[in-house]
Amino acid sequence: MSLVNRSSRTRRVGLPFLIGLIALVVAVGLGFGLPAYTVFISTTVLVSMVALLGLGVVTGTAGMISLMQLTFAAVAAWVAEFLAIRTPLGTMFGSFSFIVIMLISALAAAVLGLLVGLPALRLRGVNLAVVTLGVAAAADATFQKISFPDSWTNVRMPRPFDFATDPAGDRSFFIFTAVITILICLGVYFLQNSRWGSSWKSVAFSERGTASAGTSVRWAKLTAFSVSAFIGGISGVLLVAQISKVNYITFLPISSLALYVLSIVAGAHLIDMALFGGILFVLVPEILKQFKVPLEWGNIVFAILGVQALTTNTNLGEIARTALFRRRRKRLGLGIVEKNLRPLGSGELIPIPVGTGRTLLAVTDLGVSFGAITALQGVSLEVTEGSILGLIGPNGAGKSTFVDALTGFLPQHTGAFVLDGTPLQGMLVHERAQLGLRRTYQQDRVPPTLTVGAFVDFVTVGKADSAGIDEVLEFFGCPTASTPISVVDVGTRRLIEVAANVAARPRLLVLDEPAAGLSHEEHIEFGQRLRLVPDKYGVTIIIIEHDLDLVRSVCSTITVLNFGEVLASGQQDDVLSNPRVLKAYMGETEML
Amino acid sequence: MTLTLTDVTVSRGIGPVISGVSLTIVPGQVTTLVGPNGAGKTSLLESLSGVIGVSGGTVEMDGADLTKMSRRLRARAGLAHVEQGRMIFPSLTVRENLQLTARTNEDLDEALALFPELEKRITSVSGLLSGGEQQMVVLARAFAAKPKYLLLDEMSLGLAPVVFLRLIPIIEQIAKGGVGVLLVEQFAHLALKIASDAMVITSGRVSYHGPAADLLADDTKLKTAYMG
Amino acid sequence: MAAGLGAGGLYAVIGVCLVLMATLTRVVNFSQVAVGVYAAFLAIRFVPLGVPQWGIVIIALIVGATVSALLGWIIATWLPEATATARSALTVAGLLFFLSVSYLQFGTRPQPLIPLVSGPLVSFGVVTITKLSVALIVLAIVLAIAAKLVLTKTPIGVQLRAISDRQTAAELLGINVKVLQVGAWGFTGAAMALAISFAGNSQAANAGVMVNLIIPGAAAALIGAFKRMDRAIVGGVALGGIQGLLTAIPAINLLRDWIPILIIVIFLLWSQRKEVWDVAR
Repeated sequence: MSLVNRSSRTRRVGLPFLIGLIALVVAVGLGFGLPAYTVFISTTVLVSMVALLGLGVVTGTAGMISLMQLTFAAVAAWVAEFLAIRTPLGTMFGSFSFIVIMLISALAAAVLGLLVGLPALRLRGVNLAVVTLGVAAAADATFQKISFPDSWTNVRMPRPFDFATDPAGDRSFFIFTAVITILICLGVYFLQNSRWGSSWKSVAFSERGTASAGTSVRWAKLTAFSVSAFIGGISGVLLVAQISKVNYITFLPISSLALYVLSIVAGAHLIDMALFGGILFVLVPEILKQFKVPLEWGNIVFAILGVQALTTNTNLGEIARTALFRRRRKRLGLGIVEKNLRPLGSGELIPIPVGTGRTLLAVTDLGVSFGAITALQGVSLEVTEGSILGLIGPNGAGKSTFVDALTGFLPQHTGAFVLDGTPLQGMLVHERAQLGLRRTYQQDRVPPTLTVGAFVDFVTVGKADSAGIDEVLEFFGCPTASTPISVVDVGTRRLIEVAANVAARPRLLVLDEPAAGLSHEEHIEFGQRLRLVPDKYGVTIIIIEHDLDLVRSVCSTITVLNFGEVLASGQQDDVLSNPRVLKAYMGETEML
Repeated sequence: MTLTLTDVTVSRGIGPVISGVSLTIVPGQVTTLVGPNGAGKTSLLESLSGVIGVSGGTVEMDGADLTKMSRRLRARAGLAHVEQGRMIFPSLTVRENLQLTARTNEDLDEALALFPELEKRITSVSGLLSGGEQQMVVLARAFAAKPKYLLLDEMSLGLAPVVFLRLIPIIEQIAKGGVGVLLVEQFAHLALKIASDAMVITSGRVSYHGPAADLLADDTKLKTAYMG
Repeated sequence: MAAGLGAGGLYAVIGVCLVLMATLTRVVNFSQVAVGVYAAFLAIRFVPLGVPQWGIVIIALIVGATVSALLGWIIATWLPEATATARSALTVAGLLFFLSVSYLQFGTRPQPLIPLVSGPLVSFGVVTITKLSVALIVLAIVLAIAAKLVLTKTPIGVQLRAISDRQTAAELLGINVKVLQVGAWGFTGAAMALAISFAGNSQAANAGVMVNLIIPGAAAALIGAFKRMDRAIVGGVALGGIQGLLTAIPAINLLRDWIPILIIVIFLLWSQRKEVWDVAR
């Protein structure tokens, strides 16, 4: 199986370069074949496509609202003009000066993105939208007052490689823009498929899931926003080189709004759809100009399409993709992918792991209150390294609250956690995960926009190699690494979550009702595998489960919670035969 | 006039969470659904009130097809669903919570009369009350709507036993007043004491359906359902 | 400073509307000002027809309420359980729509809006406080008080607060969530139309510049943490005052444009300094 994966991976890496090469050839052909005006507006199409690609990263992939994409372009354009016209940088590197200037200017835009993102990109939602709109408006006012360097002395922005500004130079510049665009496409493609891209998709789907996978939510959002700013900067430099003279009207806030809406409509996180969006952005006003229709109609059309896309929660790209994908899957006879928990077949009985005797986790006098309601009180327990502890109790007993407090989602709790000698006090969620404390969730927190392999790679923060990943996936009967999670059924996604967190080799892994989507036979197979995990992977486990058969089959020690307090704790036999435990489950009390 | 479920299945992405449920809730009687967690009982109630959809079977309330009605219309038609987790409106006072459902002042006073403890807390913001008091508010609010059918989901959740014991006779009283009560509980013994009809759900399937008294008399069925 | 107070009053009104939208309908309404601007601009089309000024205001109120309610209806029908981000994204599309329609119908030149009140009220030597600035601040206070009264003293208000606490639970009680939320949209749309009618042309030129007012308005709302109307009013007026004061210092002309966004940033840094996890995400 690894050989197959390896060759498919080479194909995945080689294919984009091949497509890029073909695109380059096409661009050269168009550049010299099309009439001059068409070449000129095609350049604008490419520039818009680059701006949209940047937006696609932050809005489509990472799920945020950014309303200042053209401001990044404007800032980079301004810096580029300044460097080219007012500093020796314009000629210092000969023909390559332009490229150096372009990179520096895009970096300036990225720095602005970082400054804007730092206060705006904390945990809660719409702040970035408000801040980006504010910055766009303020920048617009500033550009009106200070104007662009080309108007200070009436010197125009030079083009790369000293291309002229006549139609012949336009053609060469078009090909130059095409090269840059292709490079950006390749960059975006590889970023989206890297761990950065996985962190963006994860943060768009679930912030909790991202943090407990060891990735800081803030960092993931900041990288997405800065990358979009950088790419936006590139588009600005290209634009100013194309038209040589710009002013504040080129980069109006309302155009940023239109671009944002367009990125939603087209689905700009898909590279081909970014091209389509670029074509729309340029073509619609062109057509309106031809028919002498006021240009505002273009924005009105974009707005209506945007409302349509948002209310149906789709975009043009996804509609096209799903239609093609569904047809292809039907042809190949593929359906929903499920798990495959075959019997381990070793024949001998796998013993319940009892551990090394050393205490890995010590919980002391844990208490959690929500207003007047006490969820947990005086909870103390110890988990032995290398064993599996069962945490059981009726619904509402506080088990999920316990896990939330342990993993860092309830910093206001009283009492202490000490993991392997390290007190967890004050550590953030993703810091605890990086320390070696992982958890799975009752609710589905596995992003369907990733492939199985990309998800596992993300959760293990790159520490496991592809052979290791394949091994864990196979051990838990999960689909292969290249399978997109969107075609995997929800019960199997739970298994993938377990496999990924085991692959991260944490010191302690908390499983919250992992067997909920499994059939009776699969419960047994799952239990067999769990028993092997502590020795095979060096992971100590706390399992929260309602299925007492499963608990009996894997746990050496059990703690019972009832009404937020520890009712019983100790060896499996003692606890499960304790009549008070039975009564607690079935609702009898001392009063009856 | 009954609330009748016929071979109802409810799915939740994973697949069916509970299936093959046939049940009749009669005004004036308490029917109880017991069983261990994860068995699908909450999902069944949610499908009745419209929070999620029914994926198989039929549900009729007083002759009308319930699945065709929106959540709001089902409530207006006399179906009250008391959700798990004490869904008070935390920023509203106790009185305001009750005002949402009580149509007249008399209805409101009648609901309050069931819970004398709430009288002195009537102007308190409900988010600051204790768990037991919040559960009383939720129950009083449902009663004030004068429903025909009352769905109660795990009222004991996170409540001290003393408090829950206090609520059981009130539920009996409500039922005697002509309301058809469907009581979902993980604490079986307490629920069975006031029910006439009982159903045990294990792993999404009905493992027992019959008179509650029989189940109380013979414990083995319950024990197997819960402890395996 | 005096001119700043007039702007501040307008910021306060916008801030109050944004706070109401955020608490009652779970949305940051980016199209808030654009709706009011469109309504006010459309209403003055009736001036040449001889409609008296109070009639123009009524028309503006009706148009503002209707158009805003339409947007709210779309969101309540198709995105009832969506995240605040998705719902707010739709108002961004709404902003683009109303701004473009305004340009299309009314052109890009300043509109002949006649402010409802004008002239000085009182002078303290160099500083003159205009009737307009007072009127706008009063309007903001009146709106906030009216909203507060409705929300705390009427059955509809109790229902609205219940919806903003727990929407599904409210539905299960038979409350008509859609109608109430659309009503809230209509209220803020009319309020915005009234405010723009009051302000007339004192603030700005064309639709685009007027719509930029959403930003200091959002700053005011942020000062109220999108929850407190009283703080939004104080914040808005203070913001206007600071901007007005700074106009007197030509040296920091450039900085003046950045005051609202800097205030937004400072407030964000302050209010989110601790990591707090929402229940769902």
